Amino acid sequence: MSAIASRRALPRIDRGVWLPLLAVVTALAIGALLVAATGVALPDAAAAFADGAWGSGYAIGASINRALAIGLVGLGFIVAQRANLTNVGGEGQIALGGIAATAMSLYGGASHLAGPLAFVMPMLAATLAGAAWGAIAGAMKVRFGTNEVISTLLLSFIGIWVLYGCVQSEALLRQPMTTSATLPESLEIPEATHLPRLWGEADVPLHVGLPLALLLCAVVAVVINRTVFGTMLRAVGANPDAARRAGMPIGGCIVLAMAIAGAFGGLAGALMLQGEQWTLKARFSSGYGFDGLVVGLLARGSVKGVIASALLFGFLRSGGINMELVANVPSAIVVVIQGLIIVTLAAAALWIERGAVR
Amino acid sequence: MSIEAVAPGTGSHARPVAAPPAGGDGTGALLSLRGLRKRFGALVALDDVSLDIARSEIHCLLGENGAGKSTLCNLIFGVHAPDAGEMVLDGRPHRPGGPRDALAQGIAMVHQHFSLVSDLTVVDNLLLGQARGVLDRAACAQRVAALADEYGLAIAPRARIADLSVGERQRVEIIKCLMRSPRLLVLDEPTAVLLPDEIRALLAVCERVAAGGCSVVLVTHKLAEVERAAHRATVLRLGRVVARSDAPARDMRALVRAMIQRDLSGLGAMAGAALGTDAVATAAAADAGAAARTITRRPSAAVVLDVEDLVMHDAGGVVALDHVGLAVHEGEILGIAGVEGNGQSELAAVLSGMTVAASGRYRVGAHDLFGRPPKAVTRAGVGVVPEDRHRVGCVPTMPLAENLFLDRLHEFRRFGLLDRRALLAKAAASMREFDVRASGADQPFERLSGGNQQKAVLARELTVPGLRLLIAAQPTRGLDVGAVEAVYGYIRRACERGLAVLLISSELDELLAMCHRIAVMYRGRIMGECDARPDERARIGAWMAGHAA
Repeated sequence: MSAIASRRALPRIDRGVWLPLLAVVTALAIGALLVAATGVALPDAAAAFADGAWGSGYAIGASINRALAIGLVGLGFIVAQRANLTNVGGEGQIALGGIAATAMSLYGGASHLAGPLAFVMPMLAATLAGAAWGAIAGAMKVRFGTNEVISTLLLSFIGIWVLYGCVQSEALLRQPMTTSATLPESLEIPEATHLPRLWGEADVPLHVGLPLALLLCAVVAVVINRTVFGTMLRAVGANPDAARRAGMPIGGCIVLAMAIAGAFGGLAGALMLQGEQWTLKARFSSGYGFDGLVVGLLARGSVKGVIASALLFGFLRSGGINMELVANVPSAIVVVIQGLIIVTLAAAALWIERGAVR
Repeated sequence: MSIEAVAPGTGSHARPVAAPPAGGDGTGALLSLRGLRKRFGALVALDDVSLDIARSEIHCLLGENGAGKSTLCNLIFGVHAPDAGEMVLDGRPHRPGGPRDALAQGIAMVHQHFSLVSDLTVVDNLLLGQARGVLDRAACAQRVAALADEYGLAIAPRARIADLSVGERQRVEIIKCLMRSPRLLVLDEPTAVLLPDEIRALLAVCERVAAGGCSVVLVTHKLAEVERAAHRATVLRLGRVVARSDAPARDMRALVRAMIQRDLSGLGAMAGAALGTDAVATAAAADAGAAARTITRRPSAAVVLDVEDLVMHDAGGVVALDHVGLAVHEGEILGIAGVEGNGQSELAAVLSGMTVAASGRYRVGAHDLFGRPPKAVTRAGVGVVPEDRHRVGCVPTMPLAENLFLDRLHEFRRFGLLDRRALLAKAAASMREFDVRASGADQPFERLSGGNQQKAVLARELTVPGLRLLIAAQPTRGLDVGAVEAVYGYIRRACERGLAVLLISSELDELLAMCHRIAVMYRGRIMGECDARPDERARIGAWMAGHAA
């Protein structure tokens, strides 16, 4: 019996690795054809992509930083997914996180705090703000039965517009208007609240967010797989009636799971602001929340899956931006390629699952 | 030859099953099945099944749960296609691509779960999918009346399905089939949901249908029905034909032996009751009842469950519980009898804390549990075996170990983590104690057989800390005889140690064999309460039908 099982398991593991790779390669190949169809010389486009994605220390750092933000949202996504909840609100949670981190850095006195507290406190504020935004959706689900897909999506739009309002109003976070040309964005946050670089002088924009995110990956993996709480989330997600009968606090689990998902979004916002951008702009997050949602979906509940797909999307984004800037490939093509990857990976997942059933 | 005893287990795989005898009247078989085989994944549901359905006969398909009876019906009706073998209907190959084909061929089937739209009237349901263009309700009503007359299927054509009893709904399903003037009528476990009187009426209908020239395939695991109505019977076990009989009433004992691999005389009372053989069950119930009452509760036995004036309305405002009052003492089993849907589910839901009643009293010992959540109920020492074990009793996708301790996972917390090694070890011990068979404690719950799932739920609920009351709702539904005996064995032993048990079941025979006292529910009310003696059967039956005795 067990011999049969293990013999069966072997090719399945293989499939689990090569099928997704095949899916990505297929999507990229179709993407290449599309690029060629727009009249851009393929070698030029490829060179621009490679240059932007991993052509220099800076490029690699930027790609990884993108992967960090996307991956954190994805990490939160799979926590909520354990409880069968779908967090579509990453974009709004990022926005709230960005607002909180900016406010804390500029006006919350964080920069006067000693040592690491100067940049930790804004991160904490961002995490809490994101958690609150997520918890709202959870509470609405528990109290009124509101579907969290809809509530998180709508809360996302609200978050984006709250961000917009914050950077438009001097009473809030907009920098003082000195001329009519003053941009609708915040002041730059003080140096002390910037996230410390990992390599001081080198031109690699990697910061402490990277080790933090890796640590959180490990924490999430342990929590969802090896704690009572993680098991409760699974039970609540798989069968709420049985979970309730077993005396589990269903409402608490749902609110907490959504709050955790939101917290990761908020933290992603803090990393983006304090790691790279340093000023809060209306278009502070250009869809990282939604990319994170996709990463979470593709990961299919596994932390390793989040890491892999977040890196894929981070590099893809960096390369795509450079392809647009240097080789004049329409940015829409990059979005199309992302979409293709999602479709082919979903197909691969289906295939893997069918293989498992047989 | 009356019975072809095919000893299973000894047979080599290749041994051909002898061709079944043709129908007695010499006209040849209506439907011949030859060498049918059907697999679902690793499970072989049917293995080399051959049998003939003669014209105008009532052919009983017997077998325990999982024997392959429903699968066989689904092959005949075109729901599934066989992997191997062939079917011949009236001399022509029968290969239905779906139920639609089977219907066109004159085969009609009543499934275990009815397919009626509850908001529509009887006539509208009958017209569904059959009428073209303008609905001719009057003509349809006339046809219903004619059929009802012919077969004794009394039904009001204008009634809404929602207002009908389960038995009446079944009649509508049968009329739906008969309106197509079928050659073959397949009834899958039709008696499971019926009152004793209704069963008798249904069997009479079957006889008339057969007399009218239509063959009837009657699927059942109750022997009494076979005894009463079957012209011939075929016994399935683990997907194979293990016995056939041309005179089932005479071959009863041999059929039972083939079905459950044991002699009836060696069976416990519970198994006899589960099989529903009248004679056996009554005798067994008398025995068991007497045995049960030898552990008479001491006069001083304390009241454990104390329920009074419990009132609840369902979502539509209809009374679901109508001033229900119950008392169960230490070491006592109180049975709740009644046709399903008369408030038993609601009662169990309220007592387990899953729903809150409008008013009343609910106490267990010194704990006031009215309106309290499930956690408080468990804390008070109440174990619950829920009616729907898949929806409430377990998390099917999670491992057996987690399910065995679903309500006390926090006991396995160590350094903030779930100590799975301890969990698995305790689960293994629990599996041994309650004879839960699985490939291991890590096996997903949904992969266990029904009997083992139920034993696992029972294992969890009987080990609730400070257990003093067990509420078991339909604990043997869908289980085979062996599992029924095991489940009741555990409950009875716990009871002997002083546990109070509230046993809700629609199987009166089981209640008579198991309980000290029986209360009967009808439309949310307790119609009456009496000792669980076989000679009270008539009174209980009257209460179940809503007649105050």
